[in-house]
Amino acid sequence: MTADASFWIVQTLNALQLSMLLFLLSVGLTVIFGLLHFVNLAHGSLYALGAFVGVSASAFAGSYWAAFAVAPVAVALVGIVLYVALIRRMRNAGPMNQVLVTFGLIFVFLDLFRLGWGDIPLGMAEPDLFSGRTEFLGIVYPTYRLFIIGLGLVVLAALSLLLSRTQLGAIVRAGVDNGDMAACLGINVERVFFVVFCLGCALAGLAGAVAAPVLSVTTDMGTAILIPTLVVVVIGGLGSLRGAIAGSLLIGFVQTFGAVLAPQAAAVAVYALLAVVLILRPAGLFPARG
Amino acid sequence: MLEIEDLHAGYGETWVTHGLSLSVAPGRVLAVLGRNGVGKSTTLKAIMGLLGSVRGTIRFDGRPLLGLPPYRIATLGIAYVPETRDIFPSLTVRENLELAARRFGRPDGAWTLERVLDLFPRLRERLDNGGTQLSGGEQQMLAIARALLMNPRLLILDEPTEGLAPIVVQSIHAVLDGLRGEGLSMLLVEQNFGFATSLADEVRVMGRGTVVWAGSPADIRADTAVQAQWLGV
Ligand SMILES: Nc1ncnc2c1ncn2[C@@H]1O[C@H](COP(=O)(O)OP(=O)(O)OP(=O)(O)O)[C@@H](O)[C@H]1O
Ligand SMILES: [Mg+2]
Repeated sequence: MTADASFWIVQTLNALQLSMLLFLLSVGLTVIFGLLHFVNLAHGSLYALGAFVGVSASAFAGSYWAAFAVAPVAVALVGIVLYVALIRRMRNAGPMNQVLVTFGLIFVFLDLFRLGWGDIPLGMAEPDLFSGRTEFLGIVYPTYRLFIIGLGLVVLAALSLLLSRTQLGAIVRAGVDNGDMAACLGINVERVFFVVFCLGCALAGLAGAVAAPVLSVTTDMGTAILIPTLVVVVIGGLGSLRGAIAGSLLIGFVQTFGAVLAPQAAAVAVYALLAVVLILRPAGLFPARG
Repeated sequence: MLEIEDLHAGYGETWVTHGLSLSVAPGRVLAVLGRNGVGKSTTLKAIMGLLGSVRGTIRFDGRPLLGLPPYRIATLGIAYVPETRDIFPSLTVRENLELAARRFGRPDGAWTLERVLDLFPRLRERLDNGGTQLSGGEQQMLAIARALLMNPRLLILDEPTEGLAPIVVQSIHAVLDGLRGEGLSMLLVEQNFGFATSLADEVRVMGRGTVVWAGSPADIRADTAVQAQWLGV
C-alpha cells in the first residue's frame, strides 16, 4: 500500500516538473500569439539554445548559477536580434509566411547547435545547493527536481501578479482583447509586443538551462518539446495565461502518467486529449477573448 | 481643426468612400448622418488609422494623419468611441478607465477619474466589475468616459445612442451637451436625427460613400425632401 502511494506521489511530482517546463515555454508563446497573432515555431529552439548556453556558461564559470543567470539573458539577446532582423519585417506578412520562416529558423538553429556544440549529448551538473535527494511523505526524490517545481510555481505566481496587478499587465490584456482599440488609446502595441517577446525568449532560455541537469542536452531537444508546447497553447486557449497553466498541467500529467500506466497508448494520449478539447471547446479551455 | 479631403477608404480591394470631404472647426460639433452602410464608420476608422486601404488627405491641426499608426493619432489628441464600444472584456471598469488616464492624465485638472465618475455616477458603482458585466448603456458610458480621460481636443463618436433605452439616450445627450458647452470639438456620427441635430452646429449627410448634403441643423429640419431621400426619416 505504501509502495503504491509512493508510486503515485513520485509520478505526480514528475508530472508537475514536466508541467512547469511546459509552462515556462508555452506562456511566452501564447501571449505573443494572443497579442499579435504571431506564431514563432522556433520557440523550442530558443529553449535548446538556453540549454546549450547554460552548459557552456556553467562549465566556464564552474557553477550552475552561471547558467541560470546567463541563459535567459543570452536567449533574450538572440530574441532581440531575431526580432529586428526577421520578425518585425514579417509582422504583416500573413500567418503562412510567418510559419514558414520560423519553421526554417528551426533548421538554422539545429545546424548552429551542431557547429557550436557538436552532436554528442551534453550534460550539466546540478547546483550543490540542490544536489542529492530529499526524503518526505515516505518517498525519496531528487532535490533538484523539487527546485524545478518550485521555480515554476514562483514564475507562475510572478507572471500572474504582473498580468493582473500592473499597468503593463493591463496593457497586455487590453492588447490581447482588442489590439485596434488599445492602439486608439495611445498604446504602442508593437512595443508591448517587443517587450513580451523578449520576456518570452528569456523564459524559454531559463527553461532550457533549468532542464539541462535532468535531461541530456541534444541538438533536437527543441523540436522534441515544440509539439507538446504547441498542444498546451491550443488546449489552453490562445493568448491566455490561465490557459497556459491549465494546458501545461494537463499535458504534463497525461504525458507522465500515460508513459507509466499505458506505455502503448502514451504516444497518442496527448493528441487524443487535443482532439477531445478541440471538439468540446474549439477556442480552448480558457479563451483569452471574452 | 480636422480636415478631410477627397478621401477614398475601404477594405482591401473594396472601396467604401469615394472622394469624401468634410471638416470639423475648433470648438464645434459636426454631425454626420446617413443610412446604414453608406460608409460613416469606415470614414471614422480611416481617421483613426485603422484601415489599410486609404487615399486622399486627412489633416489634424494642419498635420497629415495618413500613414500614421493609430497610437500616434490618438496621442495627437483624438479620442474615438467606436460603434461597438470596444470595452476590454478582460479588464475591470477601473482598469479600462486607468488605461486612458495613466497615459493622458494632466495635472492641470482637465479630465480626471473623479470627474468622469461624477459625470457617470453609474460607473462608480461598477468600478470593480468586469468590462463584460455591464449593460449596453453602461458600456457606452464607459466608452465615452474612457475617451474623455484621454483629454482629447477632438472627440469622435460613432452612433452613441444605437440600441440604448430612451432614458439612457437622454442622459448621454445631457453629457454631450455639457461637453459642447465647454467647447470640446466633436465629430458625431448618428442615425438618431433628433439627437444629432439638437447637438450639432453643422450637419453633413452621407450617401453612396460621399457627402450629399451640407448645411445647418435648422436647414435640414426644414428640408423634408433631403430627409426622405437620404435618411428615410
Ligand atoms: N471589416 C469590413 N470588411 C469589409 N467590408 C466592410 C467591413 N466593415 C464594413 N464593410 C462594408 O463597408 C460598407 C460601409 O460600412 P460602414 O460600417 O462604414 O457603414 P455605416 O455607414 O457605418 O453603417 P451603419 O449605420 O450600419 O453603421 C458596408 O457595405 C459594409 O458592408
Ligand atoms: Mg457604422
